[in-house]
Amino acid sequence: MADNGIGTSKQEISTLITQSNLECKNLYDYLKTRPSNILERLYNHPAICLAVYRELPELARQYVIRILFVEQPVPQAVVASWGSQAHSREHNYVTKVLTELNVWTEGSLPGGLLGWILSHTFKRNLKIALLGGGKSWSMSSALEPDKNVRDINFLDTYSSERWECVLHYMVGSQQQEGISADAVRILLHAGLMKRDEDDGSPVITRQGFQFLLLDRHAQLSFSTLGKDYSTEGMSQGLLIFLQHLREFGLVYQRKRKAGRFYPTRLALNITNTQSKSTVLLEEDTPKGYIVVETNYRVYAYTDSNLQVALIALFTELMYRFPNLVVGVITRDSIRQALRGGITADQIIGYLKQHAHPQMLTSESKQPLPPTVVDQIKLWELERNRLVYHEGVLYSQFLSQADFNVLREYAQSNGVLIWCNKEKRTLVVNKNAHDDVRKFWKKYSKGS
Amino acid sequence: MNNIELPIEKDPEISSSDETSLLVIILDTNPGQKLLRDNPNAITQVVDSVVAFGNTHLMQKAQNKLAIMTCHSRTSQFIYPGSKAALDVRQIDGQYEAFTLVEKTVKQNLSSILSSEHSGVITESLLAGAIAMALCYIARIQRTKATGLKLNCRILVVTGSGDSASQYMNYMNVFFTAQKQNIVIDVCSLDQHLSLLQQGCDITNGLYLKVPQVSALLQYLLWVFLPEPPIREKLVLPPPVKVDYRAACFCHRELIDIGYVCSVCLSIFCKFSPICTTCHTVFKIPGPLAVKAKKKKMKM
Amino acid sequence: MNDDEDPKEYRWETGYEKTWEAIKEDDEGFLEASVADIILRAKRKRQAQKQGSQKLGMMRHLYLILDCSESMSSQDLKPTRMICTLKILEGFIEEFFDQNPISQMGIILMQNKRADKLSELAGNFRKHIKYLKSLSKTNLIGEPSLQNGLDLAISSLKLLPSHASREILVIMGSLTTCDPGDICTTVTKLKQEGIRCSIIGLAAEVRVYLLYQQVEPPPAAVALESSLIKMGFPHQMNTEGTEEPLTMCMCHVDSTEEGSKLTTGGYYCPQCFSKYCELPVECRACGLTLVSAPHLARSYHHLFPAANYVEVAMANSAENCYGCQKNFTDEDKNVYRCPKCKKIFCIDCDIFIHDILHSCPGCATDLATFQIMQN
Repeated sequence: MADNGIGTSKQEISTLITQSNLECKNLYDYLKTRPSNILERLYNHPAICLAVYRELPELARQYVIRILFVEQPVPQAVVASWGSQAHSREHNYVTKVLTELNVWTEGSLPGGLLGWILSHTFKRNLKIALLGGGKSWSMSSALEPDKNVRDINFLDTYSSERWECVLHYMVGSQQQEGISADAVRILLHAGLMKRDEDDGSPVITRQGFQFLLLDRHAQLSFSTLGKDYSTEGMSQGLLIFLQHLREFGLVYQRKRKAGRFYPTRLALNITNTQSKSTVLLEEDTPKGYIVVETNYRVYAYTDSNLQVALIALFTELMYRFPNLVVGVITRDSIRQALRGGITADQIIGYLKQHAHPQMLTSESKQPLPPTVVDQIKLWELERNRLVYHEGVLYSQFLSQADFNVLREYAQSNGVLIWCNKEKRTLVVNKNAHDDVRKFWKKYSKGS
Repeated sequence: MNNIELPIEKDPEISSSDETSLLVIILDTNPGQKLLRDNPNAITQVVDSVVAFGNTHLMQKAQNKLAIMTCHSRTSQFIYPGSKAALDVRQIDGQYEAFTLVEKTVKQNLSSILSSEHSGVITESLLAGAIAMALCYIARIQRTKATGLKLNCRILVVTGSGDSASQYMNYMNVFFTAQKQNIVIDVCSLDQHLSLLQQGCDITNGLYLKVPQVSALLQYLLWVFLPEPPIREKLVLPPPVKVDYRAACFCHRELIDIGYVCSVCLSIFCKFSPICTTCHTVFKIPGPLAVKAKKKKMKM
Repeated sequence: MNDDEDPKEYRWETGYEKTWEAIKEDDEGFLEASVADIILRAKRKRQAQKQGSQKLGMMRHLYLILDCSESMSSQDLKPTRMICTLKILEGFIEEFFDQNPISQMGIILMQNKRADKLSELAGNFRKHIKYLKSLSKTNLIGEPSLQNGLDLAISSLKLLPSHASREILVIMGSLTTCDPGDICTTVTKLKQEGIRCSIIGLAAEVRVYLLYQQVEPPPAAVALESSLIKMGFPHQMNTEGTEEPLTMCMCHVDSTEEGSKLTTGGYYCPQCFSKYCELPVECRACGLTLVSAPHLARSYHHLFPAANYVEVAMANSAENCYGCQKNFTDEDKNVYRCPKCKKIFCIDCDIFIHDILHSCPGCATDLATFQIMQN
């Protein structure tokens, strides 16, 4: 991740990461807003092409592969004939995605037919990533074997220590090891924490919590765990970025000037964009540790202070044993968490993600008791009794018939927010205002 | 994994394509097959295509898994991931390291197999056995995977050999096992029509393709066999061929239309014989009535 | 009635099995490993008991006699005995035809002192399941009559050719039967005809799970007359390039149900070329039994089971399991060797191979041993 050498600034990379992770703004949403020349520049790197390719919808990936080795534009009609009739809607959608991302462009064929052709840079670099050729980009080639080789276990412990340290800081649990001012700044910058208005001390924000609760998998960096990579040829900016990563335990470097680094599992996994389906096949996936019972009790088999602190964010702790804490989910504890900006879905997601394997194997196939899930959601709904919609008020209709016509129009388009028959007033969605007004003009002219 | 979902009303099948998938490729490298006897160098091109195809499978999703087996003249074994510790592979060019690893491992293991076996005797490729090994491997992966994870498994057989009825029993056993375990068997034939393996595709809902030109193998593989079974219905792929479900008789290993079946053990024979060679039952001679009936029908 | 197990003594008289003594704690005080070990061992033991190459009554003809009397509405099995039984029977029927592909089954209901045939002997499991499903709404009334049920089954079973194995499976909810005559005469008749009869009682003891024991073909209990049966293996007609004509299949030719449409595809009898839409079936025109070859093949593993493996001590006999490629560690104290090909397997593969696969991967990849049938 550190060494993708995009040439973009550190900020850009980090926004890319945070956006794709946190605001449910994924890589696709981010990339499609970029102008085509920037995309073209990004596609100059096999790693980026690979990453973009993996983010494409499944059907789009098949299309790209089919024309990867074709040099001329392929007639659009031919491409359309690849998908079956029943799924033409999906076909149109992926065509749009591929165009928006500048993965393919329209080209004309002799005879005036329109065809699709893959972006030259994208095609070349995807082929390089797949089949070889071109220049190496992960900086592992020039390296001699390291005298102080670090094995995967070491890296795992190292990274989890560093990482937990940061997380502890964020959760605000008592026994924190100091983390550097730089790291705090990054957290603030990324919007994961904010300065408390009263005493200026950083507190966790909603994004921060979401960040903590995300599970951290998938690979954007395309480096391999347990290998060392050279820092040679990295720009000053990247080196600083690397140090930040080191701070977070994302990479391991023996000394600041060691000249080589190992990405840790965290780094390889952090840039995942969706939390589902990320349980990896390997046996090394962390085991879940939380048992939730229908009586709202939460049993967490853990000795990690961080995990306890996390659970304490939304439960009332009752007992604490060396390897087990028992808490109970109450209305107050949940409301406390909700007030902190954490959403019910996040809490449920966290409990689900870390559910004890025993809960997963139970007959109901649901990791959490449905009653508890529903109740947490209800508690959240309780707080949201008022819903705000921006709207435009229509009033002073001359006749009930006029009112009825407009109300029916708004209703059938699903933009009606509120109406009152007696007072002949109605409120429509603000976005639909123009539309409704146009309709009204047409209608009143016609009658 | 897929970020770019359909914006409106997510279909369930779209989310179900978000699963991990394991592909086991069985590559027939037996030098006895006609394709390689005619042109021994064709193996390089076939191996290259298969490796590139395997890497394309890995490229689809970060969590996809791949295993490659070889079925050789005397042994069948896994060449990726091999039984030995993974090679230490450094990136040498623009290729993604994990892909380089596949290529290097396959080539190293394959060359050691090729060099260790040089017998001039032509033997048949024991593909059914290789599929059996692949099924055991898949069963293990399914056992050890994390709870709650959905893993789709399929097997792709790439072969230039013919299928011989001598492996009939093993073939049927592996096909039915695959069917029970929801494992799809795809078959890509390089040379001849394979009627038994075709039955396997039909039983397990896999695809069968006889490649018209071996030189374009990679393109055929990518077009037909890259899509995962859940997405196949969304693409226009070669229609299923009508499968010839004839049986092989136990006595001469020939495919027959009409045969005699032992009522005790269901062994199939092409001619009437008084004693079942499988279970040693003595049969009663069929009455003259049956013979008559047969003759009458034959005229029709 | 030659019930399977004619117990010499009651279960409680066989002496107490001290099952818990077999469970031992492992080094860390956990029981799981030990329990898992016992389960695996039990599986292996069961496999070892299966003997290879014995005569099996493959073409089984089974009548399922189902009690539909008032006692079936009792709620001791949840939600009711009837619903519970139907559910399990569905699974049974599917599994039965899976394991006994060219067998036939029929269903008889006992209700209100009478016996009615729900479905005739037939080889299509979907039809049976459809009938069963329709049962869930029947009224459960009156008393059952075991004798009437058995007589009805005998009357159609005795018409069958002598090489077929004949069986009856009775599922009784009631403890009593209301018979018109002496049931002992019926029992002697059963014996005379060589019909194997098993009864599962729901009232006294929950033994529904015994059903699955019925799935495996029983060793041919009665000396059956054996014969070679002529069978056809129809294939789908395909002439290159030509559209198949729309034709009517023989199985639907005189049915008025909606399924009787003209279709293009189908299976053609290799002898007289009449068309059928489903297999297995007996050709109506020429009487040839038509089966699809894989149908037969499904049951071959009963005839040629993979050889049982021998347990050997680990002692570095191999680095990894030949089947699943698992690397052996210190935890694998015992490994399993195929007596034919001498390859080494782990316990999980051993069980997988003998329970599901039925072909030894070692033998199947070895030119010397791959042909299962060479004895």
